[in-house]
Amino acid sequence: MNKLKECKDVWVFAEIKDHEDVHDCVLEILGKAREIADKLGHKLIVILLSLNAENYIPTIKEHGADKIIYISNPNLKHYHEKIFTDLVFNLIQKHKPSIFLFPSTEVGNALAARLAYRCHTGLVSNVLNLELDCQNKKNLLISDKPAYLGNIIVKITCPKTRPQMCTISKGTFHRKKLRKKNIEIEKVEYKFDLSKIRIKIKGSPIRKDKPSATLSDAKFVIGGGHGLTSKKIFDQVFQLAKYTNGQVGGTRRPIMEGWMPEHLQIGISGETIFPELYLSFGISGAIQHVVGVTKSKTIVAINKDPNAPIFKVADYCIIEDAPKVLNALVKYFRV
Amino acid sequence: MPLKIFILIKQVPSYHNIEIDKSTGTIIRKGVNNIINPDDLFAIELGLNLKERYNGFVTVMTMGPPQAEFALRESLAMGADNAILISDPRFAYSDTLQTTLILKEAFKIIQEYDIIICGCQTSDSSTGQVPFQLSEALDIPLITDFFTLEIENYLLKSHRNFGHESQNIEVNLPVLLRVVSHFNSPRFISLPRIKTSFDKEIKIFDFKTFNCPEYIDGNNKSPTKVVQIDKVNLKRKNKIIDGSVNEKIQSLIHLMREHGINGVNHKKLNISGYK
Repeated sequence: MNKLKECKDVWVFAEIKDHEDVHDCVLEILGKAREIADKLGHKLIVILLSLNAENYIPTIKEHGADKIIYISNPNLKHYHEKIFTDLVFNLIQKHKPSIFLFPSTEVGNALAARLAYRCHTGLVSNVLNLELDCQNKKNLLISDKPAYLGNIIVKITCPKTRPQMCTISKGTFHRKKLRKKNIEIEKVEYKFDLSKIRIKIKGSPIRKDKPSATLSDAKFVIGGGHGLTSKKIFDQVFQLAKYTNGQVGGTRRPIMEGWMPEHLQIGISGETIFPELYLSFGISGAIQHVVGVTKSKTIVAINKDPNAPIFKVADYCIIEDAPKVLNALVKYFRV
Repeated sequence: MPLKIFILIKQVPSYHNIEIDKSTGTIIRKGVNNIINPDDLFAIELGLNLKERYNGFVTVMTMGPPQAEFALRESLAMGADNAILISDPRFAYSDTLQTTLILKEAFKIIQEYDIIICGCQTSDSSTGQVPFQLSEALDIPLITDFFTLEIENYLLKSHRNFGHESQNIEVNLPVLLRVVSHFNSPRFISLPRIKTSFDKEIKIFDFKTFNCPEYIDGNNKSPTKVVQIDKVNLKRKNKIIDGSVNEKIQSLIHLMREHGINGVNHKKLNISGYK
């Protein structure tokens, strides 16, 4: 546990998406982190671990960083829970940041949770907003997070331990291009004993390319859930999308059933969507899904269960058998 | 030796109709139904399935107020062999770090465990942090997003998704498993077992059981503090579209047209490469 007064600077973890690009969400977080660092008079420091890490430095420089600390090694090509946790934890111990922000992604959430344990500090997940409590010069970070199906917003602080940690979903903040003068770059040696890894990978892993999801850019999204009951019926979601230039998305269940590919998942472990119109067919509305759709301009929910929680977040509620309505729409829009 | 399987569950308020007491800023728990956290049902099912396949002994464990006992009874009625309730007023309001530290103390007492199973996240706080933190605390590997599990001589073989790879992995027990929701279909409570589930003794772990280490005093030692709770106004219209099925469908089509969705001539699209 780090002493409060010794701790300063705002850190952001730069996740590299599919070893190709800095994750969009990281660039969005940098915009807000810059604002917080300026208010505190702290530096904004980006932590980058990757294969060929140097490739990503130019992008990060364009988004407001004062300093980039990076480690580059072939073993950092993919996230590994042991390697990444150990290396980043060493950096925390050495530099003692006051705030450490992560993208709310599979990697960001996992890494942040492990680091928070090692630092014995607090972590707030899926933060919706960040502000500074500047009363009494406390400069505490106040994080808003959803709870109970997003019905409730809880404001949380972490007054006595450092770093103050958060994970933030894509689409929460906005990218701002800004280049500071004299950006400092620090390269840290990669050092890790691979014999510490207990999970052995047998054979060559198969690369599962996640097609670059267009969901987050779509203006019209049609979502399907378990209420569509079969693959045959779920296929009509794809048909309707084809006839209306929409994008298909859905909950976890259709993926597990094999009705829909994994990259179309909307929600905490999938994409956040920002369409003008979202039609939800046979989706009950568990929070894991709902957090991904609340930024839609208009939400229409179709579900036969009048108590389905999805209706609480919908603008228009159609209490009706979802397959029936879906089928009628397909017939209508099929020229 | 049977495999020692531990399933971690949580009792949560049924999430319909959550209300806030404006004078205290806390959630009104009175009159709210408590249920087993939905994600945890998949963990229970997996535990029972492994027990049946590999001769295991299943202990279900929860932390919470005394009434969390009912979540344990329900799990016993599903087929668990044993139950532990971690409960003490001093554990109340523990955040994820405190919860992990308390679970660590519990496993110090339990000593022997081969497989620990948890769900993805709870419906009340939805942080999903505990599986990762417990993996750190107990220093055992965590396997997430797996499709298959086979166990042979305390070696677990699994096919899992990790990042954008699909991997075949092997790892020695003990391990921690995090089950994705809808991994399986949780079984129903068996009627004859409901009766016997109430005959079983539930072990209680409290502050004294753990030799009272000061650092596990829930509310006082939790690093995060809730400073305010607000009910969200999502500002949605919540307008119910009434009428016959056909009228509802017509209203929906009208709504879609208002949003500029008029349908495309898909024959044209075929030419440009769509199938």
